[in-house]
Amino acid sequence: MPRLFAYFLSALALLSANLRGEEAQFTMKFFHDGSPLEYAVASLTPLDFPVSLIPTSNAVVTQADKEYDPYVTVVMVGTETSFPNKDTVQHHLYSVSKAKRFEKPLYASGTTETVVFDKVGVVTLGCNIHDWMLAYVYVAPTPWFAKSDADGLAEIKGIPPGRYQLTVWHPRIKKPIEQEITLVAGPNLPEEMNLNLKRDRRIRRAPAGRASGY
Amino acid sequence: MIGLFRIRRFRTRLLLIILGLLVVALGTSFLLVSRANRTNAVSHIEDSLDNAMSVFWFSVELSQKRLAQGAEVVSADWPIRELYLQPELDRNTLRSNLYSYANRLQVPIVATFDIDGELLATTKDWLTNERSAPFQRLIERADEEGTDYATDFAYLDGELHVLMVVPLYAPRPNILAWFAVTLPFDDEFASQLKSSTQAEVTFIRGGEDTSQQILATTLDPQSAQSVAAQAPTMKITASHTGITTVNDEDFVTLLTPLRVLGGMSAQIALQRSLNAEMAPARELENIILLISIAALMLATIVATAVARGVSKPVQRLSAHTELIAQGDYQTRLTPNRSDEFGQLAESFNRMTDGLAERDKVRDLLDKNVSPEIAAQLMRDGAVLGGEEREVTILFADLRGFTSLSENLSPPELIELLNNYLERMSAEIERHGGVIDKFIGDAIMAVFGAPLKQEGDADNALRSALAMERALAKLNLELQASGRPKLGIGIGINTAHVVAGNIGSHRRLNYSVIGDGVNVAARLEALTRTPEYNTNILVSAATMNAAQGVYDAHDLGYVTVKGRQEPVSIFSIENTSSQS
Repeated sequence: MPRLFAYFLSALALLSANLRGEEAQFTMKFFHDGSPLEYAVASLTPLDFPVSLIPTSNAVVTQADKEYDPYVTVVMVGTETSFPNKDTVQHHLYSVSKAKRFEKPLYASGTTETVVFDKVGVVTLGCNIHDWMLAYVYVAPTPWFAKSDADGLAEIKGIPPGRYQLTVWHPRIKKPIEQEITLVAGPNLPEEMNLNLKRDRRIRRAPAGRASGY
Repeated sequence: MIGLFRIRRFRTRLLLIILGLLVVALGTSFLLVSRANRTNAVSHIEDSLDNAMSVFWFSVELSQKRLAQGAEVVSADWPIRELYLQPELDRNTLRSNLYSYANRLQVPIVATFDIDGELLATTKDWLTNERSAPFQRLIERADEEGTDYATDFAYLDGELHVLMVVPLYAPRPNILAWFAVTLPFDDEFASQLKSSTQAEVTFIRGGEDTSQQILATTLDPQSAQSVAAQAPTMKITASHTGITTVNDEDFVTLLTPLRVLGGMSAQIALQRSLNAEMAPARELENIILLISIAALMLATIVATAVARGVSKPVQRLSAHTELIAQGDYQTRLTPNRSDEFGQLAESFNRMTDGLAERDKVRDLLDKNVSPEIAAQLMRDGAVLGGEEREVTILFADLRGFTSLSENLSPPELIELLNNYLERMSAEIERHGGVIDKFIGDAIMAVFGAPLKQEGDADNALRSALAMERALAKLNLELQASGRPKLGIGIGINTAHVVAGNIGSHRRLNYSVIGDGVNVAARLEALTRTPEYNTNILVSAATMNAAQGVYDAHDLGYVTVKGRQEPVSIFSIENTSSQS
């Protein structure tokens, strides 16, 4: 019943948006094995018009408590991303990913390094000091993207209505999912998607690391 | 067969039986003990080989863990990632880096592969991409199963290795490349396994129908080759072991196939020497053998003594029996034992007493009756009764004995009489006559009873003539000692008489009775008649019965006392030709 009601509302919104020449809204809900899936990334690349790729904001991946935060960051290509070290120990940020091969060797607590992600793709971040530190930067060729929250919901706003290629990615996805989608002004019909994922091979953090504190 | 080995002497036989039984008993128990020892040893070795095999698997597992951990640690090493950060991967530097890892891990082979399984660098020149198939299979397996490592056995450059492949994360779970290390099953591994299991270890390449190749061993090359050659034909028991002979020494061998990745299977042979295992049991067997021999020797001595103890009295009895058979009733056994043999000796002595008694009786019987009668009495017993038969009866009487008895002392008289009777009896018995009785100086003899003989009448006549001659000889002797001559009168008659044992139950004589006996006695009396001038008078009945030729003279008929019909009588004389 609520779902039916939601459809009704969105249909109403779509109608009014078209009439007023407004922007479209698109929501996706991700599942894995029946549970809401966090860290899924949805991005929309317009098929019928070029898109301006001038970064308007910076991203931040913090190193705190010997973890990267957030785990998954989505940026538009060319975005400068800063990596502040808020820990008391040094870190050694590196990536051997094709999209960005770099390292920020041993930089001290309180300092910030910045990296510009100038190539579309997935950048896996590691730390040569702490094996368990892991983060992903998804470099998208579009400003329209979102990452799912703990409820599996990803909402993209301010999209010009039209035809798009929808790309779905997740750190454990075998292969990114791509499909064409047409969006109308106002709220579009929400898309539900179940993802098949690889086994989680993330390293368990060394017990001593947590217990000893800093 | 048995006849060949028939032993005549009881003592030897007894000895052989006792020793034979002992040998069989000792031999059987020795064999059983020996067999049980071998079975025990084999089963003990089987247990220990099972343990050794567990140790092998455990050490393989341990090695794999060590390799996995080592590979994981070195794969996370910073320099590798630094190399990957460079625009172009510097394989030479990577390779020299791998030598450091090989050193740190104490393994001969370290290699890295890209995420597609292409060889990037290795510590061994011969390990090319083409020869890396086992690694590539493992990489595929690890990738598909999403495991932290993949491991298996594989042949590399003719050696059997444990292969270990781990992902090279940058960072985890982002797989940058694959990292591989190996541990060879070489002679060193084999000898380490041997030192912890006391089993000989041989790794063999090849299955049942392929040629065998030694991969690693704790044995010398020839022995190992021999083990490998025997492996396909080895008789495998329920416990998967078999006996392998190496240099004439038996080994219990446990063969376990090892599945090898992408190659022909291998086998691990674990062996322990049966001889070494059985050494303590052998010692025991030797002791048993010594005890057996000692027991056998002791048994020989005891059995000999026992056999002698049995056979000696038997031999004594046997010798004694021989003596008795020869008529010696005087010697007695000295019963010096209280057992059955002692009783037997006593019984034997009693039997000898009985025999001696009987012999004495027989002797007395012989002296009192003629041998023939004695024999008949011995045979038929002393039964009263008789039978009618034709016999020739001879009566002989000494002449002038009465006057002689007046001149001689009684002992001299008896001596003379006995001398006379002895000689006359001898002649009668020589001619087959039977002395019926002595009546003082008179002799009654019967020819034809108790045994009918051919020519009884002739015998009687010849006997009478011989008696006359014997007396003449006796007279010559008497004359020589100054004694007076003796005369004789003999009457002979042949008639049907009743012969048999006559008397009472307590005392009886074998004798003949009848009219014919009287006639003979009368004829003897008639010899005193001077006109007959003869010593021997014979009835016509006897002359008719006789076949021989005699110097006989018909003396006509006489009437004898107690008889109606006159009897025709003849005198017979010794002629010069009859002597």
